[in-house]
Amino acid sequence: MRAILLFAISLLSLFGYSQNKETLYDFTDLPQSLLLNPGADVRFNYHLGVPFLSQIHVNAGLKGASLYDVFADDGRDINDKIETTLNTLTSKDYLTATQQLEIVSFGWKSKKNEKIYFSGGIYQELDVIGYFPKDFAVLAYQGNQDFLNQSFRFSTISGSAELLAVYHFGYTKKVNKSMTFGARAKLYSSIFHARSAKNKGTFTTLETPQGSNIYQHVISNADVTLRTSGYRGLKDLEGKEIANKLIGRALLGGNLGLGIDLGFTHKINEQLAITGSVNDLGVIVYNKDVETYRARGNYVFEGFETPIQFSGQNPENFLDELEEAIPLDTLSTTYVTMRPLKFNGSVKYSFNKYDDGTCNCYLEGEQPPYLDAFGIQLFSQFRPKRPQYAASLFYYKRFFSFLRTKLTYTIDDYSYNNIGFLLSTHIDKINFYISANNLLEYTNLAKARGASLQLGFNIIM
Amino acid sequence: MKTKKNYVLLYIICLIACMTSCVKDVDFDQAEDVVLTPVFEVDFVYSRFDTDRFIDPGIDPSIIVPEVIVRDTLNYDLLSTDFIVDNLERVELTFEFRNTIERDFEFTLGFLDDNNVLIGPSYTITANAGNGEGTTPIVTTQIITLDNATINILATTAKLISAIRVQNLNSSLRGILELRSKGTYFFNYDL
Repeated sequence: MRAILLFAISLLSLFGYSQNKETLYDFTDLPQSLLLNPGADVRFNYHLGVPFLSQIHVNAGLKGASLYDVFADDGRDINDKIETTLNTLTSKDYLTATQQLEIVSFGWKSKKNEKIYFSGGIYQELDVIGYFPKDFAVLAYQGNQDFLNQSFRFSTISGSAELLAVYHFGYTKKVNKSMTFGARAKLYSSIFHARSAKNKGTFTTLETPQGSNIYQHVISNADVTLRTSGYRGLKDLEGKEIANKLIGRALLGGNLGLGIDLGFTHKINEQLAITGSVNDLGVIVYNKDVETYRARGNYVFEGFETPIQFSGQNPENFLDELEEAIPLDTLSTTYVTMRPLKFNGSVKYSFNKYDDGTCNCYLEGEQPPYLDAFGIQLFSQFRPKRPQYAASLFYYKRFFSFLRTKLTYTIDDYSYNNIGFLLSTHIDKINFYISANNLLEYTNLAKARGASLQLGFNIIM
Repeated sequence: MKTKKNYVLLYIICLIACMTSCVKDVDFDQAEDVVLTPVFEVDFVYSRFDTDRFIDPGIDPSIIVPEVIVRDTLNYDLLSTDFIVDNLERVELTFEFRNTIERDFEFTLGFLDDNNVLIGPSYTITANAGNGEGTTPIVTTQIITLDNATINILATTAKLISAIRVQNLNSSLRGILELRSKGTYFFNYDL
């Protein structure tokens, strides 16, 4: 039963995440920009994140519908609204959720080589994506009566969920005046993982005027797989035991994986820069606590023959036959999954250099900064069904020495009017930042197709 | 203290942002009103009685067998799960007989519990006589409705018992009796 529940949660619950942090990308005033591009052109002497508070990130997205579509307080019957929404959604629509919590974050400039900056830390991440299982949602909601002779496709069942801890250490080097390059090694410790993708086969109720019975219920070429790791070991535990087990896994006791981030900043001239990065190029090997459920086969059901004496056949047992035709195998073989690969790129033009020396618009010892910049950013992420893309225009503005902001306008899967804003304060060494997107929707989040929020505290020098 | 002033400004901005971000014009209590009403069509029982298989034409047609009853039981516990008992509003069992044999057939259906004790109502349908081998079959259709009260009574069903009764058989009777049937399951469940 729990397996079914888990299956339902990981698949039916419509999740969809894009990890685009368009406001934070290339925002080199913040050390968190190094997590998006290890080759970001940062100018810190050291940084230290406030433990558990240096980056709190949540992101949820719903493609195809919003909460408002179903829960609007408009006097219409909710069941009508569900039906309308159900009809507009397709199996390409999805719901995503991402949550990250930086536990430790630190970095320092190499004493031997001023051009090298080291950074590292630990963060926890929860990723969920669930495509809308259109065909089976329709089957559950409406039944098969109105869909005779039409196939319900198992391929519409697709999704994944993962909870993991990431240990990382990076190296950022200013190779020369125009080029900064960086790499970050990552060690993943997966606490829990479930994934069902590339399912095949159909279920059809055929009308058979010439057949033995009124219909044939046909499961054709079914091949449905749910991989889990970290689930079997939790099944029999309770409360505190579960918490202890999860913490143990976070502390490198889970399924381990390796990955790398790469990135660069190339200054074409004093004012124009291009950047690029790839994140989470890596795999996790699941060999501990693995349970994979796989059902494959063909089955035709025509009802129960009775009285059986007329044909002289052996009495049939529907469930036994079904189990024989489509056996559910529980495997514990090792499997490997790629981390969701992400690409970022940008072109930035900086201007309005502050250099009259009359206000404290920059920190002492720093090069006079440019107060304004604008540009374009691109983001892409690989998902089980197809990559997701986003493109942003941004404007960076530094107001006083202590206030730096960035405004973004993003087009992505969810919407064409996603405005994001980042506000970062730098008072002495203490930094606080907060960022959110889909600001136009903030007056009514229920109508939003997605929203993302990041905030955190750092000590930066 | 310029810095302090700035902090206050910042704080106010954040506060305004938090206060204006909200979820409006929605009523999540509506979730309680969600009712799923799927209708599933599923094959039920079937059989085919062909005189060629059971009646030897070599037997003297003047020998008349006054009555033949064929009984059968089969495992059937679909109605006994909690989910069904709680959420199945009604079932319509549609039976369709096609007969070319020149005799009426009486089909009886009943429900047995684990101890083979008959529970709930039994249903009898008469399949009308046909016009002989090779003629257009005579079709008899009947729908039996099991309402929610009946489904509750049948909650301990473990088996189905069926019987076909025919009278005055002799070897000159030729033809085929076919039974096809389906259940239409009307669900009504709250999330």
